[in-house]
Amino acid sequence: MPPTTAAKKALVQGKTAKRAKTSAQRIDQEDDLEEWKRSKQLAKPKDQLELTDAELKESIARVLTTTNPQQPDSLVEYNHKVGEFVVLPTTGNLVVVFERIGTYIHKDSEEAREQLIAQGIDPSAFDQTTEAEDEISTQMETIGEVETTDEEKHEEEGEDDHDKEEEEEGHGDAAEGGDAEDEREDEAKGEEGEESVSKGPQKKLTNQFNFSERAALTYNNPVRCQETQTTPPPMATFSANVLQWVIYDAYIEDYAAQELEKLRERERKEKEKVPVSKHPAPEVKKPSGRAQLSEAVQGRVLECWKVLERMLNQNTYDEIAKDYRYWEDPSDEFRDEEGTLLPLWKFVYEKTKKNTVTDLCWNPWYYDLFAVCFGFLDFMKPSTEGAVCLFTIKNPSYPEHICMTDSGVMCVDIHPKYPYMVVVGQFDGNVLVFNVQATCKKPAFKSNAVVNKHTGIISEVKWAPDLPDGEMNFYSAGADGYINNWVLMQNELSVTTITTIYLDKDPVPGPDGTFVKDPVPGPDGTFVKVKGSASCITFHPKQKLIYLVGTEMGMIYKCSTNYSSMYLMTYKAHHKPIYRIDFNKYNDDIFISCSGDWRIKVWEDMRPEPLFVFDVGHCVGDVKWAPYSSTVFAAVTAEGKVYVFDLNVNKYKPICVQAVVSKRRNKLTRIAFNHKLPIIIVGDDKGCVTTLKLSPNLRIPCKAPKKQQYLDQWTLQCMKLEKLLSLVREPSTLTVPTDTASSQAS
Amino acid sequence: MTEEGKEKEAEAKKIVHTYPLIRHSDMAEEVKQEVMELVVTACEKHSANNEAAARMIKDQMDKKFGPPFHVVVGEGFGFEISYECKNLLYMFFGGNLAICVWKC
Repeated sequence: MPPTTAAKKALVQGKTAKRAKTSAQRIDQEDDLEEWKRSKQLAKPKDQLELTDAELKESIARVLTTTNPQQPDSLVEYNHKVGEFVVLPTTGNLVVVFERIGTYIHKDSEEAREQLIAQGIDPSAFDQTTEAEDEISTQMETIGEVETTDEEKHEEEGEDDHDKEEEEEGHGDAAEGGDAEDEREDEAKGEEGEESVSKGPQKKLTNQFNFSERAALTYNNPVRCQETQTTPPPMATFSANVLQWVIYDAYIEDYAAQELEKLRERERKEKEKVPVSKHPAPEVKKPSGRAQLSEAVQGRVLECWKVLERMLNQNTYDEIAKDYRYWEDPSDEFRDEEGTLLPLWKFVYEKTKKNTVTDLCWNPWYYDLFAVCFGFLDFMKPSTEGAVCLFTIKNPSYPEHICMTDSGVMCVDIHPKYPYMVVVGQFDGNVLVFNVQATCKKPAFKSNAVVNKHTGIISEVKWAPDLPDGEMNFYSAGADGYINNWVLMQNELSVTTITTIYLDKDPVPGPDGTFVKDPVPGPDGTFVKVKGSASCITFHPKQKLIYLVGTEMGMIYKCSTNYSSMYLMTYKAHHKPIYRIDFNKYNDDIFISCSGDWRIKVWEDMRPEPLFVFDVGHCVGDVKWAPYSSTVFAAVTAEGKVYVFDLNVNKYKPICVQAVVSKRRNKLTRIAFNHKLPIIIVGDDKGCVTTLKLSPNLRIPCKAPKKQQYLDQWTLQCMKLEKLLSLVREPSTLTVPTDTASSQAS
Repeated sequence: MTEEGKEKEAEAKKIVHTYPLIRHSDMAEEVKQEVMELVVTACEKHSANNEAAARMIKDQMDKKFGPPFHVVVGEGFGFEISYECKNLLYMFFGGNLAICVWKC
């Protein structure tokens, strides 16, 4: 074979190899595609025919020919030059679908030559080497690049069978003669080629198919561990045993608890209902007081306000409270047989400032509580309304209870057993009973204004011991001369007249000059007995039937509730109205009286003459025995002075005379000893009540004689009084009274 | 005496309590009520099959309050469990069933 043909063959071989390579690549790609397709569901077009397997397997032969049936076979064209139709040559079967002008330049062309010159290559020399160069480039591909060889191998595998591969391998080892020749030529040419390559390795032409892969390895970030630990949720253990009887017991227990709860609920509801149902019907008996209390204004709030008020009062009256508790007049030590009174609080209620204090009464149960009556004594200027106020010394600023009335209140008494039951007698002759615990707005009982009431001022009311069937009752003495007994029935007061006080005078003719027929006719048949008017009444502390009545005329009648028409004893005591009679607290036979005739007299039971007479030079409004001593009593005068006497100390003169209110403006009307504390309260005609503390000299306790140390205070007090009385009890033959002026002089 | 005692017993037996009785629980009040209702529903639905009842309760509890819950339904058993606080309910129902629900 001439070398040229060999070279050509090699060239062709190289070209086919190239082509094979590209086809192999395509097949590779197709393989990849196949794999990819397999993994994926193929989407079928909707209008695709559904074929059976047999149909699908059927092979349909299709022969493609190069002849184009549409091609015209005889095209003619009119030639104007010759003036006839000329047959055009057939266009052939070639159809150009795509045409592209390549960048290859023919090496013999002028352009190529220029390019070679520009690259510094001699075109003539280049012509000789070109053939070899092509070969070299293929060789370089096979030897230099592993990848390319691999690809080639692939291509061979894909393209041909084994034999061909061997043939290819033999390409390097010379298996066939032709091939061997080729190789020899190759080597010969290769040497030349190498020379040319060695001349300028940088001369290599750019080849777009010369693909080289480049990769860069970056640093991997080192793997790090980071952990956090949270606190585990709180756990607990629980254990139990389930057994049928355990379940049963649990149910029984729970059921019992439920029952109990229900019962309590019911009880509670009943309790809640109670005050509501009892509220409208005001009851008088003692349980009613408690029930009505719950109704009393919004309990808790009121309580809070009261606490606050108490606190304020404690701050405001701090000094007085300390005086009251601790201050004992030190000058008493140096003053023999004389004492003083220390004024403490003053109690005034704004609305009753114009009224006169007509009565004072300490509560027998709560020793700090006292009732004050506001009425009037100046009958020329009657006031339209009155009130009973219950003050406590804990709160000097405002009364604890206020019972307003439509008429002046003249007297009051507090039940010793039920300290919330307050009875008052009014100026218009009505009696009212208040249950202050329930309500002060309206009286629990009220006498009928028409039929059963006194027709004059009620001068004094006194609670009596309860009747055998437990009904409360009280007595009242009125200016109309009647002494009435009132019983608190279920809803009303029933009244019984006990006695009528008649004056010890001859009957007088009636207004028209005739004698009116009297229920108790006298010897001549017609006359009117003149009624006296009771100005005070007091009951014997032990014998509950016995009572003393003082009258406007100055007489004292000793009566019994059993007899309505006769007196047990009559004392011609005073010349003016008697304002108070008080039994001694230690000796029931001794009582004291005071009157508008300026005198205070001490009496012994059934002795018509007084034991002591004291003239204080002014109208005496009230006198009371002291509860702590058998010989001490105190009186108030309209002059505004308080007199304290101790018969044991001085039989003739008071041991204390003190002006409490201004002489000109105020009059003192009433006085009351506290039965527990060393204080007295005095009321004046300006609606003011003053508290006074007795100095130590006014309340000296009895000292037991050395031989009789065992005796208690009570016995000593009685003995003291007895001793005193034995001095003044004169033999019945002597009738000279111990009149003030003369006795003081002597 | 004996007759009276018997009569009393008979009277006592008449009362059979079937209401749900919570024996021990540290759940919040609303949760407790909800779980109790769930238990009652399940036990009434599967009155004859405690296992099914327990499964139903467990599934519901897992769904509502997040797994993992454990449920025991039975007439007689003993247990000692450790549970996540605020997630325990031990109750009786129907007079003879004890149900223990806890999360751990």
